[in-house]
Amino acid sequence: MIQFSAVAKRYPGGHEALKDVSFTLATGGLAVVTGPSGAGKSTLLKLAAGIERATRGSVVVNGQNLSSLGETPLAVLRRHVGFVFQDHKLLFDRSAGENVALPLRIAGAGEAETWRRVRAALDKVGLLAKERAMPITLSGGEQQRLCIARAIVNRPSLLVADEPTGNLDAESGRAILELFLSFRAVGVTVLLSTHDEANVARLGGQRLAIRDGRVETGEALA
Amino acid sequence: MRATLRRHRLAFADAARRLGAQPVASLLAVLVIAIAVALPLLGAGLVSSAAAAAGGLDTDPHVNVFLAMDAKDDDVKRIEAALRGHPLAASVRFVPRAKALEELKATSHLGELLATLERNPLPHAFTVRLKAGDGAKLAETRAAWQKLPAVEQVSADFEWAEKLSRLTGFAGRVLAGGVALLAAAILFIVGHLVGLQVVTRRDEIEVSQLIGATAADVRRPFLYHGAIQGLLAGLAAGAIAAGITYWLNGELSALTSSYAYEFKISFPDPALLALTAAGLAALGLAGAWLAVARELRRFGGPG
Repeated sequence: MIQFSAVAKRYPGGHEALKDVSFTLATGGLAVVTGPSGAGKSTLLKLAAGIERATRGSVVVNGQNLSSLGETPLAVLRRHVGFVFQDHKLLFDRSAGENVALPLRIAGAGEAETWRRVRAALDKVGLLAKERAMPITLSGGEQQRLCIARAIVNRPSLLVADEPTGNLDAESGRAILELFLSFRAVGVTVLLSTHDEANVARLGGQRLAIRDGRVETGEALA
Repeated sequence: MRATLRRHRLAFADAARRLGAQPVASLLAVLVIAIAVALPLLGAGLVSSAAAAAGGLDTDPHVNVFLAMDAKDDDVKRIEAALRGHPLAASVRFVPRAKALEELKATSHLGELLATLERNPLPHAFTVRLKAGDGAKLAETRAAWQKLPAVEQVSADFEWAEKLSRLTGFAGRVLAGGVALLAAAILFIVGHLVGLQVVTRRDEIEVSQLIGATAADVRRPFLYHGAIQGLLAGLAAGAIAAGITYWLNGELSALTSSYAYEFKISFPDPALLALTAAGLAALGLAGAWLAVARELRRFGGPG
């Protein structure tokens, strides 16, 4: 479960990205964050994933108040959150398989277990054949799916995705969103942001429309 | 526990792989440190050898009072009484001229030459061990004994040995100061090298932190990197110092044997070598720690 209570985020430069944001996303639920560029979508996602800290208010994820966690417990919490970055954040000097293995290596998983799970994650996103490929040789859609494979390889209870369809064509975008629906179907809590209004309704769940750092609506989608 | 051990194993393997991936750069970095450390190791061997040589000399304050060749038994008795009665004399030993010749034959390589002499060229002598006193008093005593009738010469040959002992003590202090400066230099060298590694791996570090790596996880491979580099440098320094010592001793042995004296630079003590390697590994680790902490502060990072 994710619970934001009167959350505000001000960056060191003085820019206030979020103002008094409150919402609750139940375990196994899905929320779609929409809004124009610069509205505060990415900041909200980073706060939920423990990548940023709230300036005011509280962010509770799976029963843990992130504001009160120290650096190390917060880093450990991030191991249980799969984050799909807008710019992928892949390591281009490592193979696709090694990129996906990174979270497992950080968690200290055994070698055999690591590669079993890496292959399962790559298979899930349709990239099993690309295990040894270098990321630079993959298309934009494949890089996005590789990033998703890295996010799910640790079997996270919460999956956060920042504009996962942002740079993709319509067909690739639909395929990616289908993947998120399949994760939700197995009980993973999903929080994602998108500009893709055409597909928002298909996702179902909860919609958080943000403008100027405030959640304007928290309507339920069909 | 198993996960922690695995993380350490992976970090060690990562550090070793990265050192091996740039063999020339790694070798040069290790050699720079090793050569710098080999010099004080050699110095330590030299000081230790000189100290041992000085320790073998009689450095207690004593003077030798040589009588005239024509000194009679009465002169010997009178001078002995004067010496024993002096407040600075701790002990007085009479060395008859015959015994002095025997000792000279036994302790030098001049035996054959001395055997060819028709008469004993050595005088009677007294060796007087002195109570500790300042230089002025000792000099005054020496001058007073020089004036005794039938005394030919008074030599105070402890002075040079004492000087040598002080010199080795001074060299030891210079060495200790040099080692301290060198330790600081190594800390900076390893810190700089590891800092460069951190900068070149910035993307990997940032991604790792975003997906759950703690500061310890990020730091670990770099600490192994610094420690391995230090350890290798320590071992290489020992090998270089031992090699140079062996090379110098060959020439030194030929040189000193012509003076009927055996002087060799000691090989670095195995305990000192182990301590050096361990110390350099610790310095490498400390340098890496400081470098990673500095760079991580510069990066910022999540949270």
